[in-house]
Amino acid sequence: MPSKGKAATKPKATETPATTTSNPTTTNTTSQTASQPSEPTTVLERSQQRFEKTRPFEAARRQQGLSRLSKEDQKGWICDQLLHLTNRLPAASRSCLLGPKASKEIWWTVNGTNSIVRGLKHKPEPYTTWGTDRNGHDVGSYTIERFDERFRQRIALTALQVSSRVFRENVEREKRGFVDARSGREIIVTEREIDEEKVRRSKMAALKKDLYGAITGKLAESVEWEDVVPIPHEEPEGALAAITYPAEYAEAMSYLRAVMTTKEYSPRCLRLTEHIIAMNPAHYTVWLYRAANIFALGISIPDEIEWLNEVALANLKNYQIWHHRHLLVEHYYPTISSDPDALAQFAKQERDFLIAILSEDTKNYHVWSYRSWLVGKLGMWEDEEELKSIEKMIDEDVRNNSAWSHRFVLVFSNPKYATPGKAATEKDEKVPQELVDREVKYAQNKVYLAPQNQSPWNYMRGVLVKGGQPLASVQGFVEEFVNKLGEGEEEEEVKSTHALDLLAEIYAEKKENEKADLCLRRLAEKWDKIRGGYWEWRRKCLTQSEREKAPGEQVEKAEEGIAAA
Amino acid sequence: MVVRTKGARCRNRAIFIRKFPKNKKENMAASTTSSFPTSQEGVATSSQQNLDAITDDDFEYVDEEFVLSHSAEQQAQPEPMIPDLFKQPSLVKDDLITATSQLQDQTVEHCLPFLTGEDGPLDLNDYGLPKLNRDKHIKFLKQSLGPLPGRFVAVDASRPWYLYWCLSGLTMMGEDVSSYRDSVIETARTMQNESGGFGGGHGQTSHLATTYAVILAIALVGGEEAYDVIDKKAMWKWLCSLKQPDGGFQVCVGGEEDIRGAYIAAVIITLLDLPLDLTPESPAYDGRSNLLTGLAEYVRSCQTFEGGISSQPNNEAHGAYAFCALACLAILDNPRRIIPSYLDVPRLVSWLSYRQYAPEGGFSGRTNKLVDGCYSHWAGGCFPLIEASLSPSGPGSEKHKTATGLAAAPESLYSREGLIRYILCCCQDQTKRGGLRDKPYKMSDPYHTNYVLSGLSSAQHQWDLDSDPLPLPNGDTTPSLAAVGADSVWNVFPYIDENDQIYEDSDRVRPIHPAYAIPQKNVNAIRAYFQGRSGFASTLGEE
Repeated sequence: MPSKGKAATKPKATETPATTTSNPTTTNTTSQTASQPSEPTTVLERSQQRFEKTRPFEAARRQQGLSRLSKEDQKGWICDQLLHLTNRLPAASRSCLLGPKASKEIWWTVNGTNSIVRGLKHKPEPYTTWGTDRNGHDVGSYTIERFDERFRQRIALTALQVSSRVFRENVEREKRGFVDARSGREIIVTEREIDEEKVRRSKMAALKKDLYGAITGKLAESVEWEDVVPIPHEEPEGALAAITYPAEYAEAMSYLRAVMTTKEYSPRCLRLTEHIIAMNPAHYTVWLYRAANIFALGISIPDEIEWLNEVALANLKNYQIWHHRHLLVEHYYPTISSDPDALAQFAKQERDFLIAILSEDTKNYHVWSYRSWLVGKLGMWEDEEELKSIEKMIDEDVRNNSAWSHRFVLVFSNPKYATPGKAATEKDEKVPQELVDREVKYAQNKVYLAPQNQSPWNYMRGVLVKGGQPLASVQGFVEEFVNKLGEGEEEEEVKSTHALDLLAEIYAEKKENEKADLCLRRLAEKWDKIRGGYWEWRRKCLTQSEREKAPGEQVEKAEEGIAAA
Repeated sequence: MVVRTKGARCRNRAIFIRKFPKNKKENMAASTTSSFPTSQEGVATSSQQNLDAITDDDFEYVDEEFVLSHSAEQQAQPEPMIPDLFKQPSLVKDDLITATSQLQDQTVEHCLPFLTGEDGPLDLNDYGLPKLNRDKHIKFLKQSLGPLPGRFVAVDASRPWYLYWCLSGLTMMGEDVSSYRDSVIETARTMQNESGGFGGGHGQTSHLATTYAVILAIALVGGEEAYDVIDKKAMWKWLCSLKQPDGGFQVCVGGEEDIRGAYIAAVIITLLDLPLDLTPESPAYDGRSNLLTGLAEYVRSCQTFEGGISSQPNNEAHGAYAFCALACLAILDNPRRIIPSYLDVPRLVSWLSYRQYAPEGGFSGRTNKLVDGCYSHWAGGCFPLIEASLSPSGPGSEKHKTATGLAAAPESLYSREGLIRYILCCCQDQTKRGGLRDKPYKMSDPYHTNYVLSGLSSAQHQWDLDSDPLPLPNGDTTPSLAAVGADSVWNVFPYIDENDQIYEDSDRVRPIHPAYAIPQKNVNAIRAYFQGRSGFASTLGEE
């Protein structure tokens, strides 16, 4: 606030001009005494009083009009105007406006009227001088106390922001295992610090909400964006779920709309997308526009991927990131597809990153989707490392169904063993027996670790169907988990309801419907009651299939019956 | 079983106070405890007064804080009728501890006190269930439609969803949302792009998800003025630009192709009665294909070895995509014919059934993942469609490829009681905030509020498919999709439990169409409007 500082010092430096008291007294004493000594109530008033103090002639003219002023005051006013006019000009061109003689005369008059040479240039106006607050009110209309309070709030906010930044940097350091150079200890963010940050954040949010709503943005002030006319957010008054956009976001979006309309692709647009993504990573439009910029500008894809890695780690749940990566790889692939080494190198790099991100969020659907797509794109079907890394994940958490699903795709969607157009739950003749055996064995070993874990059961069943094996081929294994079924509440032992479920299917497959029915009944009655309706339906299916199995027989029997009658 | 009179209330419970005054904490705990056994009604009012006396500013936000007070007379009170199934951890459990089992155990631990009535609101019915807090949820949704503070920037690309979630939730709870018509019209206009479709807001690229949300919001408020906002011709051209040669749809130009795209395209095409022809600019244009060619095949390619449906071929089976797949097929043709033709029904039913957990009662989205209120709709909402596909055809109907060897679904293929218990006990935010949520200790939001209510609605109703598949033209063996969705007539009835109904009649929410997820009358109205306007189709030739 430069004008404030100036105004504060000036009136002290010079005596109150005689003119303000002498001249206007002739016209209205009352207004003089009323306006002059009264304490300013608002910030704007204070600024205006300061202005009037430093520009007595201008103030008098505004109050009374030029023609009502005395000759002396008129002369003083003219000198004052000229003085400020020349002051605004560069020193070299000042002489162009007034000749040396005229200048001399002005200075003489100025000295005579005791006018202030460096008075305030502009009369403070509502809104423009002090700006508006978040509600669009003129900050100038604030009382001095309220304004001081606002000023204190801004200082407080800045202090909080600095502390918050220190905190966030520490979190980042902790994540990366930084060691404090001075103490030699690892940086650890304590619970207390986290709590403090929470308090800080809420304070900051409250302050920001209080203070801002219409701050001028960085882009509007930047030289780089001077040529762009932003398209502001357009929305009617009563729009639903309207968001009170933070100024920075609203401004950035206005510029985005502008450059997207003109289809500009440039480094500054790339920076703009990064700016918006940092504020709202779920903004699909910005991501697509970013991809378009990268391809148009021929930006190096590995560089972009490196940038993306950081964004991905900071936004684990975001999925626009993964489609963006998909687009990048689609674009990059043709440039390396003919070079097996480059391809292998890239595949390794991608896998390393995927392993890192999946260790943070082991079942992230979008990451796994991307991974499964990548296997196909880069032809990683036979890649031993891929299978190993999945096995490692299953070893870490044998219940991670995402890892199991990926394994199934890796093994059975391999074009070598997969007939195009075959459904996942359909038998495929191309699948070799040893592969089925290997996978069934793998699943069975994992079942032993935790028999009630459904993932390996589903996997094993899926493998058997794919390989065209009867379910009964694993009957012995399944029966290990069920003992003395139907032999009394105390005797009966079920280590896995999934085993009982599969056993029912095995019996049905072998047409041992009574045994199958017993399994289903025990599931419904005791072991898995929540699925009572489902088990009941399965039992109905058993009888239905029995009826459908031999419709001819039934007809014959009926005819026999008629004949007998 | 203990028989209890209607007015009896279980008092052997905790008083649930979520927002708690900082300085009055101790006083209050003491006062409630001391006054507790004297008079049941008195307790309710005194604690109520205590709560009322405290202004919002006094609160320190303590999420889920409970003050336990026990009545001396507790033995005298009859226990609420809650089956053991929902009171105890599951019977078969492994010893091995992994990250997954830890989270699962923790979730059960969090849910059990709510399910048994130990935690939660004071007012429980004879079956141990709290009421649906309709007023609070309505207020929550209305607030979510109002101006949102700056931190909501994160959902700036999802604002159309807010319109749909809130209006749909309000509609299910019996609110008349037609008063929002003008604002929906105004808001939708700023989201529509000249090149067709709706984006997340002014200047945002058109996206199928946001377009779906806007169209459903428009259908919910209804009225020709609202329908007229949609630029049908531009919409058709835009959809053509998203259609892929393999039959699926990209979600936006340059975006991903997934099963959401397939479902939403089917919804848009049928609600707006779009022509099926492809523009020559379409990536799928080959002179023979149309907008629906290969769509059902795409859906089929998303079924996984587990039986569930994934977002794209070769991904993990996931609840949300199961709904998209079934609803998409149910729109394309009669579910009795199309679902068994394209999906492995026994595997799908098995996988879907396993999404329901006990003791929680709610549904999970994937194998070995946690229950989440939103899957009440995504997984729970699959059952009306699956049940329809298994329902027997009427007498004399054409013999078609229904699931051979599969019996008709019983009254209920899943545990409606379990789901309703989970929803009413665990998913309601009982604080002043209101709204419904994922699970206890999570914040409510419009997304969960809508989809939990959708699940509740589906659990409270029975949908019957009252039509048989029309004969296929030209003796085709697979559906030709010639008469899209035209022959499916759905009837809905309140589901009457053969045993006692565990919830109050006043807690019934309105039914929504099993495939379009808005009330049937809104589906019919918008379809009738666009079918009545054939003007656009005739101008196609000029293109």
